[in-house]
Amino acid sequence: MLEEEYLNGWKRAKADLINYQKDEAKRFEDVVRFSNAVIIKDLLAVLDSFASFEKNLAQPKQDAVGFLAIQSQMQDILKNHGLEKIKVTVGENFNPQFHESVGEAESELPVGVIVEEVTGGYLLNGLVIRPTKVKLSKSK
Amino acid sequence: MAKIIGIDLGTTYSEVAITEAGVPRILENAEGMRITPSTVAISKSGERLVGLLAKRQAITNPKNTIFSVKRLIGRKFTDIEVQHDKKWLPYEIKESATGGVEVKMGDAWYKPEEISAMVLAKLKADAEAKLGEKVEEAVITVPAYFDDSQRQATKNAGEIAGLKVKRILNEPTAAALAYGLNRQKNEKIVVYDFGGGTFDVSVLEVGDDTVEVKATGGDTHLGGDDFDKRVIEYLVGEYKKTDGVDLAKDALALQRLKEAAERAKHELSGAFETEINLPYITSDASGPRHFLLKLTRAKLEELVRDLIDRSVQILGKTVKEAGLDVSAINEIILVGGQTRMPAMQEAVKKYFGKEPHKNLNPDEVVAIGAAAQAGILQGEVKDVLLLDVTPLSLGIETLGGVMTRIIEKNTTVPTAKSQVFSTAADNQPSVEIHVLQGERPMATDNKTLARFILDGIPPASRGTPQVEVTFDIDANGILSVSAKDKATNRSQSIKIEASTSLTKEQIEKLKAEAAQYAEEDRKKKDLAEAKNNAEQLVYASEKAVKDAGEKIPAETKDTITKKIEALKTVKDGQDANAIKNAANELSAEIQKIGAAVYGKNEPKSS
Repeated sequence: MLEEEYLNGWKRAKADLINYQKDEAKRFEDVVRFSNAVIIKDLLAVLDSFASFEKNLAQPKQDAVGFLAIQSQMQDILKNHGLEKIKVTVGENFNPQFHESVGEAESELPVGVIVEEVTGGYLLNGLVIRPTKVKLSKSK
Repeated sequence: MAKIIGIDLGTTYSEVAITEAGVPRILENAEGMRITPSTVAISKSGERLVGLLAKRQAITNPKNTIFSVKRLIGRKFTDIEVQHDKKWLPYEIKESATGGVEVKMGDAWYKPEEISAMVLAKLKADAEAKLGEKVEEAVITVPAYFDDSQRQATKNAGEIAGLKVKRILNEPTAAALAYGLNRQKNEKIVVYDFGGGTFDVSVLEVGDDTVEVKATGGDTHLGGDDFDKRVIEYLVGEYKKTDGVDLAKDALALQRLKEAAERAKHELSGAFETEINLPYITSDASGPRHFLLKLTRAKLEELVRDLIDRSVQILGKTVKEAGLDVSAINEIILVGGQTRMPAMQEAVKKYFGKEPHKNLNPDEVVAIGAAAQAGILQGEVKDVLLLDVTPLSLGIETLGGVMTRIIEKNTTVPTAKSQVFSTAADNQPSVEIHVLQGERPMATDNKTLARFILDGIPPASRGTPQVEVTFDIDANGILSVSAKDKATNRSQSIKIEASTSLTKEQIEKLKAEAAQYAEEDRKKKDLAEAKNNAEQLVYASEKAVKDAGEKIPAETKDTITKKIEALKTVKDGQDANAIKNAANELSAEIQKIGAAVYGKNEPKSS
């Protein structure tokens, strides 16, 4: 029946459109989130530099206080945009979901566990945008 | 019906794409990335990892992390290539009982196709998750120079992964498919594929139903990674000169440099200069050391010039082997991320004397082509409804003789669109709706389909009445245009039967004209718009001066009046810039009225 074929085709086309619109809306959301992620990912380099600065600071001097404030300001802004630091503790098991191994170091700890966090890793809205770079223990 | 996926199974990275509604698109993996490293590993805790996760532990687990297995698949252990690659690949490789190759991962030995199968299985699973349905069939691409044994092994890898391999497709052919060049009969195509680790050149000839590979060439150990290496060496050398520290001895610093070098390389495809800034790159007795260096595009090009030259030499040799003259090549396609580099594009362009195809993402071209092939094999779903498109844009004439488009060309019909317009003069009693068809910006250059008048618009100042114009094209291509005054609900309409009665030739001619006169038309439209703006501004300014009355100082009023006069004198001329300048001056001046009026009312601070 041609009539039925046409009607079904029409229904199908309608359904396709509605589905497409839904997909498109979702894709658009993803695009927005993704473009944010691109910028935030680039900014992580600045967070790294701040972290190195803080780490290399022997004694918080007066002029360093300002920098530390800028650091926390930056962290705060990015946190509001969904950025979260991946927490890593020494002795924790290596998990490639969250960690990337960049070297090994001798330690008393069991072989293969994390002995040092080299560069911080981050989650953006719950997804890993950069894994934490870590060193793993090896036997002495 | 289950979908067929297209897979670009690369040496370092793989991609999956699918054709939906005739359009191929890349599918993201479970990690949300469009590319998946072709890497497999058995972690130190005995877990099997594939893709990004395998790559993340490669540095501390090199013996059990398998990558570049494509270099080994389907080869004999005694092949020169295998013997060469064996030297630098960090994992163990041995001869299998049948003379093939086996690699060691964890405690077991695997055939290369088994490793590839693990990559394919992940791609399949991720595609299924993304599509929400089972995937059972695939098109997988291989380099054009792959022999039967390598193709068979790749096919086996697919079968092991649970995929029915519908076709093993040549990578350059896939690239040509992605650009839709398979339809151009007797064309000769060169595909220049500069990947991360390998460089391939292929010369193709499109026959009746086939794409024939006429010649292949390349260098299996030349790629974008070599460019990175050159940049890193340069950075290390410079730092040694300026700061006296050898960063090559610091593994972590070297890794940061590697990332920075890659990033700089990417940035220099768009910019002419980039800054490589790595604070706290290392430390010595004197404390932390920082890395800061500017890298220019010219310097980068200098560093890799010989590599580009080498690729062009290979290119020339391959074209010659195909028995062709450079001038016989019709199309050139660029594939591989490194071809984003302007100097490389320039080198290829110079060699052929014509522009290569590069508008598709060069990392994704092969996967897109594989999906296009999958779409062909799958056969498009038979369309019960045949939907037409409007071949040309439709619109009406508006102030200044400009054509305002209501329905853009190539819109699928049936469709309806409306837009609200207003009057151009105070107390205008009627509007004329001049229905136009064509691509040119000015009304007079397009075809008039109809004219009608909507009258009875109540007196009002210009811009106040709201006239809604609706264009409706039904499934038979019949256009109805209606105009309605929203205040009175008075309306007028007209039906145009022949809106798509143009022949194909006429349509093409109109489109060609639009392209030909594009620049001239743009200027005309620009002038018309400048005049429209000027007119509105004059009107608004006069009104503002009148409304403000005594609130503004006489001298401001004077200047404004002078500027209004100045604009009035130029606005009927033909110089768009003069009109714009006069308008800008007036517009700057007119803001003073606001300042004067509001300034007066400002409460004085005590």
